[in-house]
Amino acid sequence: MLNHIWLALIVIGILTAAGRDIHEVSQNSYGNGIPWMLQIESPQTISVYGEAVETSLRVPRRQLQLHFHETAAADAVIPARVNLTHAREGVAVLDVTGDVPQQFKIMAEALGSGETLTARLRHRGSGWEAEFDPVSLVYLKKVTNAAFDIAGVAVQIAIGLIGIMALWLGVMKVAEKAGLITSLARIVRPITVRLFPDVPADHPAVGSMIMNISANMLGLGNAATPFGLKAMEELDELNTKKGVATDSMVTFLALNTSCITLIPATAIAVRAAAGSSDPAIIIGTSFLASLTATIFAVTISKLLARVKMFRWDRSEAE
Amino acid sequence: MEIFRTFVSLLSAIAIPALILFFLVYAAFRRVKVYEVAVEGAKEGFDIAVRIIPYLVLMLVSIAIFRASGAMDVFIAIVRPLTDLVGIPAEVLPMAIMRPLSGSGSLGIMTETMQAYGTDSFIGVLVSTLFGSTETTFYVLAVYFGAVGIRNTRHALPTGLLADFIAFLAAVFFVGVLL
Repeated sequence: MLNHIWLALIVIGILTAAGRDIHEVSQNSYGNGIPWMLQIESPQTISVYGEAVETSLRVPRRQLQLHFHETAAADAVIPARVNLTHAREGVAVLDVTGDVPQQFKIMAEALGSGETLTARLRHRGSGWEAEFDPVSLVYLKKVTNAAFDIAGVAVQIAIGLIGIMALWLGVMKVAEKAGLITSLARIVRPITVRLFPDVPADHPAVGSMIMNISANMLGLGNAATPFGLKAMEELDELNTKKGVATDSMVTFLALNTSCITLIPATAIAVRAAAGSSDPAIIIGTSFLASLTATIFAVTISKLLARVKMFRWDRSEAE
Repeated sequence: MEIFRTFVSLLSAIAIPALILFFLVYAAFRRVKVYEVAVEGAKEGFDIAVRIIPYLVLMLVSIAIFRASGAMDVFIAIVRPLTDLVGIPAEVLPMAIMRPLSGSGSLGIMTETMQAYGTDSFIGVLVSTLFGSTETTFYVLAVYFGAVGIRNTRHALPTGLLADFIAFLAAVFFVGVLL
């Protein structure tokens, strides 16, 4: 199942990107090869040639329509650093981070950093003729860049886990040696024997799972992951088919991903930052929604374990 | 509600220091060589973190390709008639689809949606409830199964996604009752 979805995400992603690019090439969506006619705002400030001047470029509405094949409501005024020579030619570096047509942002991203866009200028009649480098295959390039970037990010995430993992696994080992994890497992025994029938009631995995779920409920994500990974290792000790997920592992992850939330800290913080008059209003709704999801998640994990294609005795590690 | 909130945030703040203190002091009383044992446990942290790298890289790459291609817009166009039929606002669909895939992606969508429709509107409260009440299922599966080298995940993914779907419906229902 995970195999298919993983493959589907990649195939759908690349095909969609290719499809969009073919559509854009056939439409010439960025007006490649058509020169832009525009005005430099307050050209009198550009008296010194060969020196860059901060000003802005006014792109008429008609020009936007001609290049982008969309109706534009108004002229676009784009801040730019303009550098002209005596021959009335030059270069403009457009700042597209502000309120400019979306296409300029996409062009900037496809041609460079995404913040600036470089145009070659030439004086023509009463205005200026500008030319950008041609833009094509925007989405395929985006897909490639995203894949390379995230590969690095994934390693950073894993490396970032090392410190916090070492801390918590160290503390957990001490608690385990002192017999605390077993005592904890014994306390919650009435619940866990039903949830995880194939895990012995005083097994250390039970203690780690309880720690993981408690940390999740309190919104302590940093502490939850080490406990959870420790629990997975301990559950794997009971696994008779290495490489295949056991029923208990799936039920544990169902509990983990749908976990009952007491305080959705991140969401509240974002709401407060966005100027909500009552950021914490979602505590009740989040609690009820996650409680419902948790009850269903456990039930679904138990039911699906009996479905033919997922049954334990029919599953192999390949 | 206010008392509950203060109680839980207080509990979150003291939970970790209290836990560390209690574990270590209790173990010391039981004559466990705390420092030596802690170092022993800490060594495992490195192995686990390194072991999940290949799983995490491949999972996040496939999600990143899907996101960057803009395939989600296409997907939303397909499911939209269905959700319109049930009366679920189409504005929250990007959030519902992104939430199981990517934590940072859904955080971005939550912020954008709240800016566009207002934090305290039905849609604003709904997207933040969605963000707050579910986890990034794909990330959790990649990391947790990766740590123990599970390749055949059996019914874990359908269970996680169905639970996310139930959480979505429950959020729509409870936010509707509240507002």
